[in-house]
Amino acid sequence: MEINSTRERLAGSKSLQAGLLAAFVVVTSGAVYLMDKSVLAFLLLLGSLLLLYYTGFSNGIKWASAGILLLLVIPFAASGGSSHEAYMEVAAQCGIYVAMALGLNIVVGFAGLLDMGFVAFFAVGAYTYGIFATAQANNFIPGSLFPLPGGSFWIFILLGGFMAGIFGILLGLPVLRVKGDYLAIVTLGFGEIIRIIFNNMEKPINITNGAMGLSSIQPPDLFGFKFTFPHQFYFIVIGILAVVIFAVRRLEHSRLGRSWKAVRENEIAAQSMGIPLIRTKLTAFAIGASFSGMMGVVFAAKQTFIDPTSFTLVESTTILVMVVLGGMGSVPGVILGASLVTILNLQVLTELTSALNALSNNGYIGIPTALSPSKMQRLIFGLILILFAIFRPNGLIRARNRKVSLESVAGSGVYPAPAGRAAIRK
Amino acid sequence: MNDILHTLPQVLIDGLALGAIYAVVALGYTMVYGILELINFAHGEIFMTGAFVGTAVLLAAQGTGLAASLPPWLFYLLIMLIAMMFTGALGVGIERVAYRPLRKAPKLISLIAAFGVSFVLQDVVRFIAELRTGNYIVSSSSLYGERMSLPASSISSLFGDATVKTNTLIILGAALLLMVALDRFVNRSKWGVAMRAVAQDRETASLMSINVNKVIVLTFFIGSALGGATGVLFAQQYGTIDPYIGFILGMKAFTAAVLGGIGNIRGAMFGGFVIGILEMFASSNLGTLTGGSFGAEYKDVFAFSILIIVLIFKPEGLFGRAVKEKV
Amino acid sequence: MAILTVASLKKRFGGLVAVNGVDYSFPSGEISAVIGPNGAGKTTFFNLITGIYVPDGGRIELDGKSLVRVKPHVIAKLGIARTFQNIRLFGSMSVLENVMVGMHIHLKSGTPGTILGWGKVRHEEQEARRKAYRLLQYVGLERHFNEEASSLPYGAQRKLEVARALAVQPKVLLLDEPAAGMNPRETAELTALIRRMQRELELTIILIEHDMKLVMQLAEHILVLDHGEKIAEGGPAAIRNNPKVIEAYLGKNAVEEGVMA
Repeated sequence: MEINSTRERLAGSKSLQAGLLAAFVVVTSGAVYLMDKSVLAFLLLLGSLLLLYYTGFSNGIKWASAGILLLLVIPFAASGGSSHEAYMEVAAQCGIYVAMALGLNIVVGFAGLLDMGFVAFFAVGAYTYGIFATAQANNFIPGSLFPLPGGSFWIFILLGGFMAGIFGILLGLPVLRVKGDYLAIVTLGFGEIIRIIFNNMEKPINITNGAMGLSSIQPPDLFGFKFTFPHQFYFIVIGILAVVIFAVRRLEHSRLGRSWKAVRENEIAAQSMGIPLIRTKLTAFAIGASFSGMMGVVFAAKQTFIDPTSFTLVESTTILVMVVLGGMGSVPGVILGASLVTILNLQVLTELTSALNALSNNGYIGIPTALSPSKMQRLIFGLILILFAIFRPNGLIRARNRKVSLESVAGSGVYPAPAGRAAIRK
Repeated sequence: MNDILHTLPQVLIDGLALGAIYAVVALGYTMVYGILELINFAHGEIFMTGAFVGTAVLLAAQGTGLAASLPPWLFYLLIMLIAMMFTGALGVGIERVAYRPLRKAPKLISLIAAFGVSFVLQDVVRFIAELRTGNYIVSSSSLYGERMSLPASSISSLFGDATVKTNTLIILGAALLLMVALDRFVNRSKWGVAMRAVAQDRETASLMSINVNKVIVLTFFIGSALGGATGVLFAQQYGTIDPYIGFILGMKAFTAAVLGGIGNIRGAMFGGFVIGILEMFASSNLGTLTGGSFGAEYKDVFAFSILIIVLIFKPEGLFGRAVKEKV
Repeated sequence: MAILTVASLKKRFGGLVAVNGVDYSFPSGEISAVIGPNGAGKTTFFNLITGIYVPDGGRIELDGKSLVRVKPHVIAKLGIARTFQNIRLFGSMSVLENVMVGMHIHLKSGTPGTILGWGKVRHEEQEARRKAYRLLQYVGLERHFNEEASSLPYGAQRKLEVARALAVQPKVLLLDEPAAGMNPRETAELTALIRRMQRELELTIILIEHDMKLVMQLAEHILVLDHGEKIAEGGPAAIRNNPKVIEAYLGKNAVEEGVMA
């Protein structure tokens, strides 16, 4: 009873919400700034974005506040201690995965096509930049034009997305004609195949440098300013992410977004409404893949080294888990899911592992290394997939239809206009 | 060209052994798909679990000296039976826990759950293996590891001699036996008829007082037991196993099932042998055929290309059954 | 004048011949009905016309243009829209969005324009929403425009299918058992709606229906199928008294007694 009335008061008053949120941000960012390394404080600070989502403000205010949090508050708070780069690394990785998960969400969530080899497109993006931003390309292009200067990075973001999109279409063309459930296994295979090919393409012509990978990838360069640290990449990631989120929101409620969902809900009815099945699915594949490819370019530049081990089945599954956990088809859900899983992977599991190791080193408890949490990804991801499929198939934040206001649709005029068919055909 | 002919006898023998393994694993995919229209991603992991259970029993028995007191063939049979019971029960459990609650859910959701199950199994087996042996890659001794020579050169001087492990013959024999037994069971027995009825039309079958749940449980048991038995044969043949062998192997077995026409038991057997022999051929000859550009490391790519080609040109498989959706 | 013609149309499923050599011409701007006992091949007939099945033989022509081997989405563009016997709505989308999917072929926004959010695209979307709402008003569902399609009651779902098909702006509208599962009041509303659509939108309407009262009230032309073959055609009065039709529906004995609603 008491709780309910408090909740109602909170829901009713925007100034109260704003006050509480501001206080929360001040406390957590202060904690992050002052303490040397506190994963918990950093997580809570990121959590303020989730709180923001649940406030009752208009979308414009929410986006503006999120922008301030992401561009000013978080980078500043993290800069306080020695863990600055570690925090920003996590935040940048989060952004990369959010963009990829949003890409996969187009394929799985909107169009209902299960792609289990999604990391392949990330790899295509990463190698597109990696090959030309190192001396590698000299092996198959005469002259010594390479590595390209870091200024080319900005063009490569688009190029990586484009290449990944092409691969998406190449894979989709044969496969999307057959029944849906084969798609899952074919994409699963494709993910492995791309890895095997990148792993072996050092002969007959050395294109990918095989298992050795590509190192010393050129850092991005903007009018002489070189991006080398995670806190610098963070801003690139946020920039691309903003574009991706913007595009996804636009697409979701467009003619194309509706055809994706229609194909997902009922292929036969969708066709009978004039929607071309294969082309619609291919667009989903290509657009989803291109998000992944763009972030692949950023990843390659940030790591300065890539090899095929970064692009395994576990990576593909990680992205799928993000989408399923957050809520298939739900943009805020997928953003949340991707952030949670990235943080789980990079922070929680590693922290737990080192804590347990410390305990067993001190002889308190004996945890065999087989059970170390950072090795348990498969188990954790598997369980999330099973449990969410059975108990919460809509994920943490369920996808909702956009409600439109009556005023915006109930304009003047009745159907059909008096002149009959001639009039409705115009 | 001469090289290819020279190695052909060995390629054929190794291909048959591998193909037999694919064929029996493919049966599990095809049976479950026939009945539930679900790709049981976990089937590759059930095969892998069978390999581990068999190896564990073998190592345990050798440790206690029990193994020495039994004739090897009986011991082999016993290991296989234990692994089959274990994986059969595992398959039934998976169906009960993860698939049955989702029988009416969209296909996408069941596929996600199936995929989750396969990940969980990989890690659970890894835990146990790593806890017991300190390493998740496990080697086992072979009961019938001795080799004999097959003088193929006496047929034609173009051929080279091949060597055959005794275990290869066991694999072929066991696989054929299992496949014939399954074929007879499905086509002759009362339960087999029920199975085919449920595969045709679940609702009508239940109206004909067939207990659909029982049939599905039985299907999972048999399919998984076959997978487990193959796991034991595999471990005996190749000696080293790890928790991730089920993934690629399962995918190739699935390719075999698609090639033979998914839902079609005899087709799956045929598909298995075709894939096995093609893969062995590719892995020993790709290098020669492409002048050294592409080697055996592309054998998985090759198998995968077959899957794509079949899906493009003959999605219903070589002996497929017509699938039509009710509109 | 005929708008849609089929000639010696044939479709086989394995050993079963679902449609066997049917010839018929549907007159333009009028209401026709396809009737027949269960399993007579009526829905298969619709699926052949809308391109979901490819015929094993025969011709299908819309305004003299062949529809054989034409993809379903192209057939929609050529001017045939339909509803489904087992309702096939886009369940988790809103009622308004369902109708907007039907407008797909009449909207022009491409991917780049959508992402960049050009004014033209926004304007088109706004217009599409308005028009979809008017269509909902036309079938009497405007109150539900923001609801999820799957949450609608059964009768309303059937109406939504009609609104969605109208959004395609077809020349020919195929209704597959539009009154199935409706109560008498809803059926009466539907009857009025069908007649209104024919008159006001100048549509050619072809319906499959088991409710003989509705068929006899609405249809000017009736095609009777049994076991995939045409056993009769003609106006309602002729069909009502055709002994072959009565036999197909009620068995041989009924013919002597001469009963049929």
